[in-house]
Amino acid sequence: MRGNLVTGILLLIFSVVFWFGADAIPKSRLSGSVGADGLPKMLAIALAVLSAGLIAQTLLTMKAAVQTAGADLNARAEQRALYLRAFGMIAIGAGYLVLVPYLGYILTIALLLLTVALYNGKRPSVGLFLFAALGSVFFYVLFVQVLAVPLPAGFWPRLIG
Amino acid sequence: MEGLFYAWQAVTSMPVLLAAIGGVTWGILGGALPGISPSIAMALLLPFTYNLPPLVAVVLLASVYVGAEYGGSIPAILIRTPGTNSAAATVIDGYEMQLQGRGGEALGLSLVGGTIGGLFGLILLSTLTEPLASLALYFTPPAYFALGILGISIIGSLSEGALLKGLIAGVIGMMIATVGTDPISGVSRFTFGKPELLEGIHFILVMLGIFAVAELMAQAGEDRWTEGSQPKASNARLKLPSLATLWRLRTAQAIGCVLGAIEGAIPGGGGSVAAFLSYNEARRWSKEPEKFGKGSEEGVIAPETANNVVSATAIVPTLSFGIPGSNSTAILLGGFLIHGLQPGPLLFTTNPEIVYGLFGGLFTANIMMFLLGIVILGPCIWLVKRPKPYLMAAIFGLVVSGVYSIDHSLFDLAVVLMAGLVGFVMRKLGFPTLPLILGLVLGYMIESNYRRSLLITNGDHIVFLQDGVSLGLLLCAALIIGFSALREIRRLREPLVLPEAPDQGSKSGPASISS
Repeated sequence: MRGNLVTGILLLIFSVVFWFGADAIPKSRLSGSVGADGLPKMLAIALAVLSAGLIAQTLLTMKAAVQTAGADLNARAEQRALYLRAFGMIAIGAGYLVLVPYLGYILTIALLLLTVALYNGKRPSVGLFLFAALGSVFFYVLFVQVLAVPLPAGFWPRLIG
Repeated sequence: MEGLFYAWQAVTSMPVLLAAIGGVTWGILGGALPGISPSIAMALLLPFTYNLPPLVAVVLLASVYVGAEYGGSIPAILIRTPGTNSAAATVIDGYEMQLQGRGGEALGLSLVGGTIGGLFGLILLSTLTEPLASLALYFTPPAYFALGILGISIIGSLSEGALLKGLIAGVIGMMIATVGTDPISGVSRFTFGKPELLEGIHFILVMLGIFAVAELMAQAGEDRWTEGSQPKASNARLKLPSLATLWRLRTAQAIGCVLGAIEGAIPGGGGSVAAFLSYNEARRWSKEPEKFGKGSEEGVIAPETANNVVSATAIVPTLSFGIPGSNSTAILLGGFLIHGLQPGPLLFTTNPEIVYGLFGGLFTANIMMFLLGIVILGPCIWLVKRPKPYLMAAIFGLVVSGVYSIDHSLFDLAVVLMAGLVGFVMRKLGFPTLPLILGLVLGYMIESNYRRSLLITNGDHIVFLQDGVSLGLLLCAALIIGFSALREIRRLREPLVLPEAPDQGSKSGPASISS
């Protein structure tokens, strides 16, 4: 419930920021009676009203159900650990994003396969490394050779000459 | 006759045939993997449809949907783990049959029931959508604007116990749709000087993030899904039911067909609701209700028929009004929009070859599902037995590589990861994601028609109330939101049951269940 309240407040702040962002959109003679800022401003107002409603609804609910607060601290800690694990997947994706222009697709995708499998509980083994190596070759053949997607080559072409 | 010609052309076209085979194969394999819903299987293919001809692309996506509905029943029967939500009802009797050494029979019933359901749904789809095409004549820009608003209102209001959250998600989706170049004046909005944002945030990226990446995040902390649940090889050989058996099970199939048709056409109904309703009704109408839960054949064929009927009838509102009622049909809508096709009343007159070609493609997909279902069981079992970390790594690899193939841009991958993060947080906070997708997909249509309407009347909003269709649709939207709000208020007034502190709870007076 506290999550709902925080979300409601953040959304309310976001709606205000969005309204000012919409207000800063340059005016154009081609826009007609409603400018490019017309719908964004309406949406900002709609979001503000709805998030105010969410805050009010949550406050009413919290008032009545306050007894349960703090009932299960262990469950909350477990939940937090699960969230952190989930965010780790995004961190791995971000790592791929940073490395791929430098290391090239084939090496980075191998690292991604290896890291995701390790992160999700697979123990290091020959099979795991084989999976990463063969997987990267499979993805390379599929995307670069078959589908002709120009995925980043990284430093390899410079190294070869 | 013209429709039949287009459908026949699609059935006999090699690219469409290959799309149907590829889509059904991918769908069965994806559906068989617990955690990969039909929508995720479709979202993963979405980037690859970019360079395909429009008909081939939509047939491919629709075939994935068809295949995934059957694929979900394979692990449900063999390892008591439904591959998709709609296969959950199949677990009850399907797994019992597997324990009795009749797993092959259960798989056969699921396959034949699914094929019959899919073909029945296709007949309904092709007969129901065509009359709706005549509505095109009554649709003006204000009516299109109102239609978009109605769509978001319906989907937002369907979020049980979370009306405000559903509507907020819809508004945020429309906000994301405003990023990029303004459709009327050409002014750039919310681009922060980034040239990558000038064309806006593509809904494919948001769909991939919200469906695929958020699912990977959610599963990152969960237990392995296949450990200790290996299917018995002896029971995993598919056995098709005889005609006499099918005749004996006709009532259960008819129930599946009727309920699947109704639930599919209702936005938000979905395969799982249809499957459970059909299971219950099949038990109620059965001559042997005592067998349910103990390996009843009717308990397998009724839900499996229903969820495949849904895979066809769920396309009715998408094709007729451009309003998808589920995640899978939202992705199918995305497949249309990628190729500049706007599903809705006009599509029948502007692109009849696509609509009827899709019907032909779906016919091929259902036949292919039956044929492939017999031979693909082995690879499915092999795939289901793979360790979860390998599957997650392979899916993540497919996402990061597939995203790059859209625009050859790493910025897109950053957007996908961001959307995944947003999707995960939304799930955890109880925000439905479908309204956001719908807001994003319909945002352009809503804004352009809103602005066009006001250009005609020089800014007078009365135009939305003067147009009869627009007025009717807006009234429907208001009524739907109003009724949902009333239901929510009533729910808030119900006394709260507090299991942790029952005594205190009884003293606290009226309260509500927290969302």
